[in-house]
Amino acid sequence: MTKVGIARGIFYYYYGDIWKNFFDYLKVPYIISPNTNKEIMENGMKYANDEMCLAFKTYLGHVSYLIDKCDYLIIPRIDNYKLDNQTCTNFLSAYDIVKNTFDIKILNYNIALDKHQNLKQGLINIGKQLGFSKEQSKKAYKYAVGLYKKDRARDITINMGKLNSNKTKILLLAHPYNTYDDLIGRDIIKYLNANNIEVIFSDKFDDKITNKLSEKITKDLYFKYSKDNIGALIYAKDKIDGVIFLSAFPCGPDSLTNELVMRKIDIPHINLVLDSNSSFTGIETRLESFIDMLKGGF
Amino acid sequence: MKDSYLGVDIGSISTKGVIIDDDNNIITSSYIWTEGNPIKAVRKLIDILKKDLPNNYQIKGIGTTGSARKLIGLLLKANIVKNEITAHAVGTLTFYPNVRTILEIGGQDSKIILIKNGIITNYAMNTLCAAGTGSFLSSQAKRLGLDVSEFGAYALKSKNPVKIAARCTVFAESDLVHKAQVGYPIEDIVAGLCKSIVLNYLNNVGKGKKIESPIIFQGGVSKNVGVIKYFKEILGEDIIVDENGHLMGAIGIAVLARKNKIGKTYSLELSNIAFDTKAIECGRCPNNCELLKIYRNNELVDSWGSKCGKY
Repeated sequence: MTKVGIARGIFYYYYGDIWKNFFDYLKVPYIISPNTNKEIMENGMKYANDEMCLAFKTYLGHVSYLIDKCDYLIIPRIDNYKLDNQTCTNFLSAYDIVKNTFDIKILNYNIALDKHQNLKQGLINIGKQLGFSKEQSKKAYKYAVGLYKKDRARDITINMGKLNSNKTKILLLAHPYNTYDDLIGRDIIKYLNANNIEVIFSDKFDDKITNKLSEKITKDLYFKYSKDNIGALIYAKDKIDGVIFLSAFPCGPDSLTNELVMRKIDIPHINLVLDSNSSFTGIETRLESFIDMLKGGF
Repeated sequence: MKDSYLGVDIGSISTKGVIIDDDNNIITSSYIWTEGNPIKAVRKLIDILKKDLPNNYQIKGIGTTGSARKLIGLLLKANIVKNEITAHAVGTLTFYPNVRTILEIGGQDSKIILIKNGIITNYAMNTLCAAGTGSFLSSQAKRLGLDVSEFGAYALKSKNPVKIAARCTVFAESDLVHKAQVGYPIEDIVAGLCKSIVLNYLNNVGKGKKIESPIIFQGGVSKNVGVIKYFKEILGEDIIVDENGHLMGAIGIAVLARKNKIGKTYSLELSNIAFDTKAIECGRCPNNCELLKIYRNNELVDSWGSKCGKY
């Protein structure tokens, strides 16, 4: 039976659950690469060029981990969710980069809503490549998305519920592939939790609301995930004590967006830019002093 | 016996120590180079401070701050270990309760702290790169064959500072070479460097922040009169530079040590204390964490660097 590989990076944090549900329904076996560890990250560096961001280097490490462990990799090519909601070049180029770097078959679909290429068609396509009928894939799609929406709604409720917490509240403004990666965001979340901080995640808001809200900061931005993030900040700003901007070096959209936002808001904030050589000592100094400041006492 | 409190600020370039009494008067202080070995530097520092401390004082609290604060905190058994931003703010507020803005440029960090009514309201620190900090200045001084301490005086002589790209040390260096090779006088180049430090700082660290008076400038670079001049010029405000500005972190942490004292009396005798660190690569999982084990008198007191928390 053919086995599909899912790399735990970039797309995984947006589509991983849908893919898992889809393959579960069709009873297609799959393998997900483990949490990022140093070996994976270092392998990624080998394949990456030095202009790629840390998250994408890590992604390539996950891909290389899976190469001899599966028959197909699933990698979409995401261009846009309509023209005023584009993604960064990593989302657009991952498929082609992996195809040209590694010797592996790829299950691919395009998302470009301006050309009416959407997730439903994409998954039906993938079903077809794996030998399933359109009807079977449609049912699997419905199941996958239905379950995902339920889980997502629950996550959002929990996350937004934290806005009413009595603890000191910090919004962690970051892309989920940075926030939840073991070598990028995990230590930061761990540190904040250990210091009795309520951590609110910018990616766990309803993007129907946040995407539009971002216009209060700027109407010119066209990166979907950045818009969602800063919309979350606008939504939460009166209920939180501070914001941590976390990004992976050298992220293009973040370096523009975060810079712009920092100049326009009047909430206490810090900017953390992580690269692979970041030792936690420097991060800890910044987090500790930030928490000291928010708690207002010495 | 009178009570006193020791504060030690171990930075990347210099190590600062101060002993204060209950009324925040400085009894004795010292400022030495770290030279890449914080443990050795602190042993030396404590020896100097010990010699200058009158016999009728006893140490009732020890605090450490700066980038080696955790390590030295274990060596000295400090009762408080705190980051340098908090320490600097506390130290400065002790002498200048009305301060609104603290500008600080150190060896590899630069920061800005905004204060309102004695409470930090916002701050920023340089991110990945150390451009425009003390280490950048001293490497450029070396290039020009000058001592970093005479740098500022040179800058004051200049009437036409040259323009230098200070965003990145590499670009600045090639700019510098070009300017020297086409014949600009050395004082104009030095002045250009000092000015570029200020511009770089305001653009990178101070961006978008409202800098309000009274403004205090601290850190090793505040000893540079050229940089002070351009801060005044560009901000159009008066800049206060305290003669103890380089000690503010140490003073702040000494004050915090007093506020958090636990009733213990400390000895400054370190010569009979063995203090070692051992670095090993774990190898039990693909993370290959570099573990650092700290031994005090051959007893394991802490170990750092593990991702999983097992060690």
